[in-house]
Amino acid sequence: MMQTVFVNPERCIGCLQCEVACAVEHSATRDLAQAWRESPVPRTRVHVEAGPVPTTAYPNKCRHCNPAPCQKVCPSGAITRSDDGDLVLIEPMRCIGCAMCAVVCPFDVLTFHPLVGALDLETAVAVKCDGCVDRVSRGEVPACVESCKVNALIYGEINELMASGRLRETGAVLALAGSAPTPPIGGDPLAGWHSFGVARAAAALEAVEWRSSRRPDTHAGATSVVGDPGSPTNEIRNEEEGTQ
Amino acid sequence: MSTTNEVGGPGRLTVHDDAQQMIERARAEGIETVWDRLHAQEPQCGYCQLGLSCRNCAMGPCRIDPFGEGPQKGVCGADADTIVARNLGRTIAAGSSSHSDHGRDVLEVFAEVAHGGASGYRINDEAKLRRIADELGIATEGRSTTEVAVDLADELVANYGSAKGSLSFVSRVPAIRREKWAGLSITPRGIDRENVEMMHRTHMGVDNDYVNLLLHALRTSLADGWGGSMIATELSDIMFGTPKPVISEVNLGVLKTDQVNIAMHGHNPLLSDVIVAAAQEPELVELAKSYGASGINIVGLCCTGNEMLMRKGVHMAGNHLMQELVLVTGALEAMVVDYQCIMPSVVDVAKCYHTKVISTSDKAKFPGATHVSFDPHRGAEIARDIVRMAVEAYPSRNQSRVRIPVHPVRMMGGFSVEAILGALGGTPQPLIDAIVAGTIRGAVAVVGCNNPKLPQDLEHIELTRTLIENDILVLVTGCAAVANGKAGQMMPESAALAGPGLRSVCEALGIPPVLHMGSCVDNSRIMQLAAALANALGVDIDSLPLAGAAPEWYSEKAVAIGAYVVASGITTVLGVQPSIFGSSNVVNLLAGGLDGVVGAKFAVEPDPYKAALLIRRHIEAKRQGLGLSHTAPELITANESGGEPVHVNARS
Repeated sequence: MMQTVFVNPERCIGCLQCEVACAVEHSATRDLAQAWRESPVPRTRVHVEAGPVPTTAYPNKCRHCNPAPCQKVCPSGAITRSDDGDLVLIEPMRCIGCAMCAVVCPFDVLTFHPLVGALDLETAVAVKCDGCVDRVSRGEVPACVESCKVNALIYGEINELMASGRLRETGAVLALAGSAPTPPIGGDPLAGWHSFGVARAAAALEAVEWRSSRRPDTHAGATSVVGDPGSPTNEIRNEEEGTQ
Repeated sequence: MSTTNEVGGPGRLTVHDDAQQMIERARAEGIETVWDRLHAQEPQCGYCQLGLSCRNCAMGPCRIDPFGEGPQKGVCGADADTIVARNLGRTIAAGSSSHSDHGRDVLEVFAEVAHGGASGYRINDEAKLRRIADELGIATEGRSTTEVAVDLADELVANYGSAKGSLSFVSRVPAIRREKWAGLSITPRGIDRENVEMMHRTHMGVDNDYVNLLLHALRTSLADGWGGSMIATELSDIMFGTPKPVISEVNLGVLKTDQVNIAMHGHNPLLSDVIVAAAQEPELVELAKSYGASGINIVGLCCTGNEMLMRKGVHMAGNHLMQELVLVTGALEAMVVDYQCIMPSVVDVAKCYHTKVISTSDKAKFPGATHVSFDPHRGAEIARDIVRMAVEAYPSRNQSRVRIPVHPVRMMGGFSVEAILGALGGTPQPLIDAIVAGTIRGAVAVVGCNNPKLPQDLEHIELTRTLIENDILVLVTGCAAVANGKAGQMMPESAALAGPGLRSVCEALGIPPVLHMGSCVDNSRIMQLAAALANALGVDIDSLPLAGAAPEWYSEKAVAIGAYVVASGITTVLGVQPSIFGSSNVVNLLAGGLDGVVGAKFAVEPDPYKAALLIRRHIEAKRQGLGLSHTAPELITANESGGEPVHVNARS
């Protein structure tokens, strides 16, 4: 039984509700109106990154690897595995801020911020998803999952989720994870929205190419735009995301 | 959505027995209600709750990250202060526009009546017409009613544009407050003008200064309270009668198993007035009898219900959160609606029964409802058609599904300013004397809506009861009035619930300790009364021992009301957080800085007992300021009796 937060990237509409819910859940007051005024300010542990084309996004968070590279390299033993084995947890009191965990993390989910529970409230320590261990122990789903109104984030036993996941249209997953645009998928309410983003990215690329063709002195590196699917950095990024 | 929280049991959703039973029945029958939909929406958007999202242009939509990690400015460069203030400004403009457009509809019919048109309407209170004309400097001596009415209509029509320096009824405001407004440049100039200007200022690249935006938001709200709403109230009184104390009944028990039941829902009395008349016509009553019903029973919901209760004693089925539950009784032949606060869902609930939903305003159409376009020129005729449609639905009623859960509770309504002065013997002096003597400590307007985020009516009832126990007179309108009526706090004998001082005054005058002043546009009556008290004492409104409370508010209109009440000098406590907490500057201004500018501010307190404490301290501080007997505010503690929420059992 491996309980996890599973990501359906093709369903993410980039609303960032998971980020807000995560920060509030990891605040002292757990009250939206007061949380952002706390010191140290509570931080989100899930980050919604803009996708390679407009209208795509990916909520990125700790995947709780097992074995976890971060745990293996942590020199102070601050990173441990929960008793049930599902979660990789950080003890802020033991963190020395060396960032080795961040160096080896395959998903770049580590952030460094002052945190309640650390040696002091000024020094940055490693902060990442704790799987909402408090909520889950009360029988609730993680805060990011609760806040997600489009089922981009779902929570459950991984094999059960994968069983239902096999019904997904693989083409859509690949397209929205960044490899190649595919036509809108019938019945998906977000398809039109996503195809608009794909078209917009293509138009933007075309405009940039047209401009650079009119300016012979412009070298190629200066023409990249956000979401340029042809840029080398995106190809690297796409490969990484495609592996998930 | 994978959520583990369940919708609370019905006991947590409402304090009323009738509502609880109907919620249980809706669940048993698989009928979705407002509480189910709220649950499906939770958790709600954090950016929107904080006021930090902006959809005003296509460079956006934008959000400010309250936790500081993400963007701190919108694409245009607007920061949290600007975005929160813009959003609040637009909310107030929407609320102010709603009341004012309702006022305009009444005014247009009044103008027609003045010129001899509009079937089914007439000048009902000629004395009030002449009194208001006098007040606004319109000649009345030796002139006919028609001449005076035409001039008054012209005068008020001009209030909607910007042809005048300021709104006509600003003349009612104490001079000292008018000077304050002038100094801040917030004197309302034209009703439509202030609303349009608010929309203009919140367009990208216009007003980016949160203080300047908020000041105009106050001016926009004042154009409602002393403009659109006041015009709606005063002209409705002239055409439909100025309310006088009247006994009515309230809760779902007002429905009749053996009669054609028609619920009037919405806000404008133009429609309900002619419907009530049509339902009494012998021909239609006979038609109902021919179908086996013993008669036609008109009941009210929300503010239309309040308008009918105040003027005609028509029974009240319930407030905002009862609009779906009234359908679940299975006993309604028709729900006739005009506009504002009518949930689109009533059409879906009605489909589960034989009930017809009949929309009447061309401004407010409901997919799935039967639309009968209401034209005031043929008001009486259309009203007959609507009543006939309801009567003809009676044979389709399934009597085995009819369940009327409780017996009604009696309540007194009808306290217009004129009626209150009448009860006091024609002058506010006895009330002033009682306040000066300390028999009555002060007065609080408990107003506003229902909100499914709070147990229905709990705050209205508990706050009101705690205040009257402490000798504070409570004035109610809208959903708050219905809540208190259902709780049995609005009969003359309810004076027994009040503290000894307030009780003695109420018993001497034969009035309840909680006075029903009408619908939500009728909050203008409370403004007028406050101004009259201030003028009688020769002080500004903010010196008086008064407060406002909107414990369960939900609507944009309520924000406009709160803003004009505060801008008029009355501190107001809200029970639900407005969407402003993303900007500390905006919060600090509204909950603090404003006090130094208009002599009043906002507070947010969801706990009714803490809210009562806050208000009692505020009132004692105001008494101190006037040199009246007072308790040091810091010595006031919560009521011994406070803390235990009531469960109102209306079965009798």
